[in-house]
Amino acid sequence: MNRALIIGAVLSGAFALAALISFVWVPYDVTGVDIANRLKAPSLGHLFGTDHFGRDIFSMIMVGARTSIAVAVVAVGIGMLIGIPLGLAAAARKGSLLDELIMRGNDLVFAFPSLLIAIMITAVFGASAVNAIVAIGIFNIPVFARLVRGAALSLWTKDYVLAARVSGKGAARISFEHILPNVTNLLIVQGTIQFSLGILAEAGLSYVGLGAQPPTPSWGRMLAESQTMFSFAPHLAIFPGLAILLTVLGLNLMGDGLRDVLDPRLRRARR
Amino acid sequence: MSLLKIENLSLSIYGTPILKGVSLSIEAGQIVGIIGESGSGKSMTALSVMQLLPEGSTATGRVCLSGNEMLELPEARLCGLRGDEVGMVFQEPMTALNPIQPIGAQVAETILIHQNVSRAEAMKRAREALNRCELPEDKFPMSRYPHELSGGQRQRVVIAMAIALQPKLLIADEPTTALDVTTQAEVLALLKRLTREDGMGLMLITHDLAVVADMADEIVIMRHGEVVESGPCPELFDTMQHPYSLALLKASDHQPEREEHSGTAPLLSVQNVVRDYALPREKLFAGQQYFRAVKGVSFDIRRGESLGLVGESGCGKSTLTRAILGLEQVQSGSIMLDGEPVFAGKKPNRDVRRKMQVVFQDPYGSFNPRWKVSRLVAEPFHLLDDAPVGRAREAAIAEALESVGLSAGDADKYVHEFSGGQRQRIAIARALIIKPELIILDEAVSALDVSIRAQIIDLLADLGTQLGLTYLFISHDLSVVRNVTDRCLVMQHGEIVEEGVTADVFERPQHAYTKQLIAAVPTLPTQEEPA
Repeated sequence: MNRALIIGAVLSGAFALAALISFVWVPYDVTGVDIANRLKAPSLGHLFGTDHFGRDIFSMIMVGARTSIAVAVVAVGIGMLIGIPLGLAAAARKGSLLDELIMRGNDLVFAFPSLLIAIMITAVFGASAVNAIVAIGIFNIPVFARLVRGAALSLWTKDYVLAARVSGKGAARISFEHILPNVTNLLIVQGTIQFSLGILAEAGLSYVGLGAQPPTPSWGRMLAESQTMFSFAPHLAIFPGLAILLTVLGLNLMGDGLRDVLDPRLRRARR
Repeated sequence: MSLLKIENLSLSIYGTPILKGVSLSIEAGQIVGIIGESGSGKSMTALSVMQLLPEGSTATGRVCLSGNEMLELPEARLCGLRGDEVGMVFQEPMTALNPIQPIGAQVAETILIHQNVSRAEAMKRAREALNRCELPEDKFPMSRYPHELSGGQRQRVVIAMAIALQPKLLIADEPTTALDVTTQAEVLALLKRLTREDGMGLMLITHDLAVVADMADEIVIMRHGEVVESGPCPELFDTMQHPYSLALLKASDHQPEREEHSGTAPLLSVQNVVRDYALPREKLFAGQQYFRAVKGVSFDIRRGESLGLVGESGCGKSTLTRAILGLEQVQSGSIMLDGEPVFAGKKPNRDVRRKMQVVFQDPYGSFNPRWKVSRLVAEPFHLLDDAPVGRAREAAIAEALESVGLSAGDADKYVHEFSGGQRQRIAIARALIIKPELIILDEAVSALDVSIRAQIIDLLADLGTQLGLTYLFISHDLSVVRNVTDRCLVMQHGEIVEEGVTADVFERPQHAYTKQLIAAVPTLPTQEEPA
């Protein structure tokens, strides 16, 4: 078995589990204010300590995982749902006007720094988790479209595609029956990597105040709020920082591991 | 003392035995042909000499190359010998060269690694090596890149790299398998000349008995990692004893039992077909340039016959196939199957498509690896308006599989569970399932081992008789075309240069190109029929 895959799956699994548990149980209420217990250092009662409102940081990280994962899942979903069909269409009609339109549209999106567009979207439509999701999702579209087009182009030259054309199948049908199943490996791997980038992007947007709004806990905003108190209460910054680091690390390791396991060429080379 | 002596060499990779007690020897100036089908261990024998074995290999026995015990030397010493004492030529000239380095630098690299000479001196000697490989300076300057050369020219560059240091032993692993017949003949003649001039030993590995029959001094026949028979050539062809050698010899010129057809009613009629491809624009405002791949081709295929289409790569035969299958529209001319056009208006005609199917060359690329055999074989049902469903569909799949010698139970397997020959049977089953009239065989047996090829040829002949099929047999392999077709066409540069009854074309070729093609085919020594 692949070690990177196991470590990655355990790390990401732990955060997914924490997010799920937070729906039914958290050690402390994350919306309640408990001034008496503010800025407590980590202890048995509060594993990760408390913040300047006396909220339990462990509980906030659990609920924050929920936000991060939800944003990343939906953003990757948007990217895949729109990007994959675009990529398949561009490959099926290679060199046509449609291909040009799709690929130049991709270049256009790629040309803008993602944070800039996200700021623009939130400036126009207001700062909220939903708008953050949409902004991150838009940036996933060209990633998937390009990936699928590149892989599909080489698959279109295969004899089995020719055989399908001899059987009278159209471009759309061939794309979904023959091309898509043969690019799923790539999509799974790229999906995990985009997922981790999504979590980072959500944290970044929340950090500048454009993501999930208070009182919804978010790792990015926890970091933002901690910075003025970093000198005397470093645990406020360390734990959300570690949460982001470990989730992203876990997902990247999982992506690497999946690529090794799913790619038959790499499998053969290692054996 | 022999130049190369292999004694009792055994090799296993992760415990799987690959070679079992192989012994052979090569003298200086001698050409030894090693023959075997895929998996016979012939390439592994060559890699053992170079000590370039895959990970997990353990070799026992003795490999002695001009006094060096190759199995015992440390890697650093082996590096010194590779390229200097022993050179190697690989099968695939397209991937054996670095695409971003000019050919001169690639040949000079070998010299620079092994000898302490200046760059200018190395380039000078690289030039000499290229000249010796018949790549003269005025036509092939050292600044050429691999993509500017044809397959045969690239193979010459690879040979120049291998002989640049005048090694004592040259190993050529299927050096001509990827080449056309005329190019193959030239490259083989070149290898023979170089061996004689330099007094070098040549280990020529191939699956084709005829290739070595013409030039080898000794022949070694391998099977399942063992040497089954060896001896001097061509005497060995008369004294062959081992049943496998005899079977191999028989299979390489296999003639299926089939009835001659001489019907006159045309099934497919191709008239003045022209196919142009747009070339990429070189200048922004230059007019669009076209490459004419098929230049006004006309011919008929008669119902029930087997028609051969012969030509070298780039002659337009694949383009013509695609046009006949209705995959690409032609610029002018007409293609009619059974009186109906293949292309009606802008769309391919479904009624016509139903009557033809195709079998491709590559048994590995012809199937979606994620589908089960049942789904693969049933794919052409898409062409039927009333495709069978449920029980009837399963019965049709089972029937198609059984007709090609597989079992109905194979329907539930994935294609990677089958060997190359079995996959080609699945491809034939896929072509048969909608009961077409015309089957186009696009190099359908070219990638198979000779014994498997003989089986598939028999199968096609049987099916043709049973089901009254018409075949268009496209191939660059003249010996196969000669044995399985009634009439044949010879194509060159997008035109049909000769057409006629197969036996006539082969025995009394009219066109200069046909004569050249037939002369280039390597032949086995004629043997007396066993009484």
